[in-house]
Formats: sequence, C-alpha cells, structure tokens
Amino acid sequence: MKTAVLSCTGLDKPEGSVAREVAIRMAAVADSEIVCPVLLNRSLARYKKVFAESSLIVVDGCSTRCASKLAESLDLKIDRKVLIAGALKSSGMTLEPTLRLASNGEALAKTIAEGLAQSFLAPAPALPSGASSTEFPLPGDYMVVTHDKFEFRIPAAGYWFNENDVWVRPIGDVARIGISDYMQQSLTDINFVDAPAIAQAVEQFGELGTLESSKAVFEVVAPVAGTVVAVNPEVISNPTLINEDPYGKGWILELKLSNWPGDQELLLNSDAYAKTVKHKAEEA
Amino acid sequence: MTEATFMGVPREKIMWHPTIDYAKCTFCMECAAFCPHRVFEQREGDRRLVVANPNNCVVFCRACSKTCGPDALSFPEKQATIAAIKQIREQESVQ
Repeated sequence: MKTAVLSCTGLDKPEGSVAREVAIRMAAVADSEIVCPVLLNRSLARYKKVFAESSLIVVDGCSTRCASKLAESLDLKIDRKVLIAGALKSSGMTLEPTLRLASNGEALAKTIAEGLAQSFLAPAPALPSGASSTEFPLPGDYMVVTHDKFEFRIPAAGYWFNENDVWVRPIGDVARIGISDYMQQSLTDINFVDAPAIAQAVEQFGELGTLESSKAVFEVVAPVAGTVVAVNPEVISNPTLINEDPYGKGWILELKLSNWPGDQELLLNSDAYAKTVKHKAEEA
Repeated sequence: MTEATFMGVPREKIMWHPTIDYAKCTFCMECAAFCPHRVFEQREGDRRLVVANPNNCVVFCRACSKTCGPDALSFPEKQATIAAIKQIREQESVQ
C-alpha cells in the first residue's frame, strides 16, 4: 500500500526540522506522498484521494504534537506515529540549536526514514506481533461498581490490577496486559495505541507504551516486570476494541513474566481494585 | 472524605509530582488544561504556572509531560519511588 506522510512544518524547533526532513526523505525512498499540514488545514479535499489510497504516517517534532492533533481533528486514520523528540532521547543524540537542518538532524532523519520505509515496503511477516501460544480464558463472572449512571465491570477472579488501572492476567509464565473498564470509560474512544517493541524488557511500573484518545494521553504503567512477547495486532489496527472489550479482545500485549509472583505484592485483587475504582469515581 | 493512599501508603509520603523547568516553560498551559487532577494552577506574576497540588498527581502518571512541547516537565525516577514506597510499607507493616 502507498504511504502518505503528514509532518510538523519544522518552523518552531530543531526537532520539527527533522520531522520535515523525514517526510522529504520518505518521498524519495518510499515514494510517499507529502501532506502539507498548512494546506491540509485549509483544504482537506486536496488530500482526500491520497488518504483513501494510502497508509498515513504522522511525524511530530515535539510533544505539542501539532501534526497528530491536526489529523485527529480531521478524523484521519493514523497508521503510524513518530515523535522526533522521543526518538532523539532514545538515540542519545543532541540536535544543533538551529532550524536549518544540520548533520545530527540529518543523520537522525535518515535513520528514521529508512526504518519507516523498510517497515512499510518489506513483506509482512507470516505471523505478526500477536502470535501467542498461551490460551487466556475470558473472565467468567464480573463484579460491577456503580457510580451515578456509570457501571464499571471488574473480572471477579484471575486478574490483578495496579492503581494505575492496568490489569494483568497471568497464565503460567506469560501474562496478558490491558486497561480496566473504568479507565477505558474515562479515556473515551481510544484512537491510537503506541505499543512497545517485541523483546523489550520492562520493570514493574515501567512504561508499556501509551494510549491516546481525544481526551487524554494515557501511559500504560506495567503491573509486572517482564519481556514483551506479543502485541495485539487487532488493537493496533482497531484501538476502539479496548473500549468495546477491555478484558477480552482489547488486550494490549503479552509479557513473559520475570518476577511473578513477587510482583503481586504491589498489586490489587479484584475486591481491592473495586474499592479503588469506587473511590476514584467518587473523587472524579 | 477518605484519606488518599497509594499501595496502602499515605499519598503525602510519596514524592511523585512534576517539576517545572522555568527556563524551558513557555506558559502555553497545555499541561494545566490537560491534567484532570488540578495539579497545576495559573498565577499572576512571572511564574504564571505552578505545581500547586503535588499530592493530587497520580503516582507513576507522567501524561502531562507528553503534552509538553518544550519538554519542561520532569518526574522522579520510578525505581527510586518504588523503593521508597516499599520501605514505607515495611516500616508501617502495611498489608
């Protein structure tokens, strides 16, 4: 499938210049269509055909995320996001303090564009990131916490929670991770999942990617330590599955556990989490 | 009102809240508009944004920093915070 790149204009910060350069390089190496954010803001019709035929990559320079917000305001489906400020931190590089692209910025843009081009041009692997050999039975019964007109479901058994509203469902030495019904309702419709990479190791309470809705950006706080062994491909392509079925089809990823049951010490069982949800709902 | 706790530890004993780097902050107020827990407040004067209610901050949440274009918000190291929480739990024999 073709790709289109909507990037930051590059006229406010050096990170933006890198974002702009990624778009230009993608056009050169992957024949991507460049989507000018200023023109898009004036005329969605100009790019209607492009969006119908292409996977959309959004490249933000900094955390203000102007390009992402523009795409979201126009209800565009985003297939991939890149945040240059984040990539910069991960790389350990620093950018020259100028809006004119210099050597470090150019090197970073080259690396990012080549990585993107490779992932979009290479044939898809036979089993994408969701390959899991472990069976995870769905919850049998639910507890329900009510507050005003809202109802928040919590599986009665088999799930553990941290106080950041992330659940873990351990089976043997593997566990599924997702967010609770209370949190998905708080976030409203989730429109983007930024999942961690396969084989990434995480400590308990470390970061396991982010979820974005029109209302908030939510950091998935790891309830347990482990190594990422699978990411749910259906949730990546259809994030609202998390809203529709947070404890079932809306699972986000699987970890190979590295400190279970030790991590359990700092987790809540269903009864304790129900009390926490009640308290949060009353305080909200 | 019930006492706010996190993992059984009184919230005010846990050092977890954003710190504003005023050399970077542009006072765009994106974070203040974003945070539903009223951690930030706007004030008169040079420092028009302050962390007024640090204990309202959800422990381990760093979402406001992901809205900050100038990268002016920082948080403590998570592992140090976890170690401190465990220590307090042991001292107070919190179950």
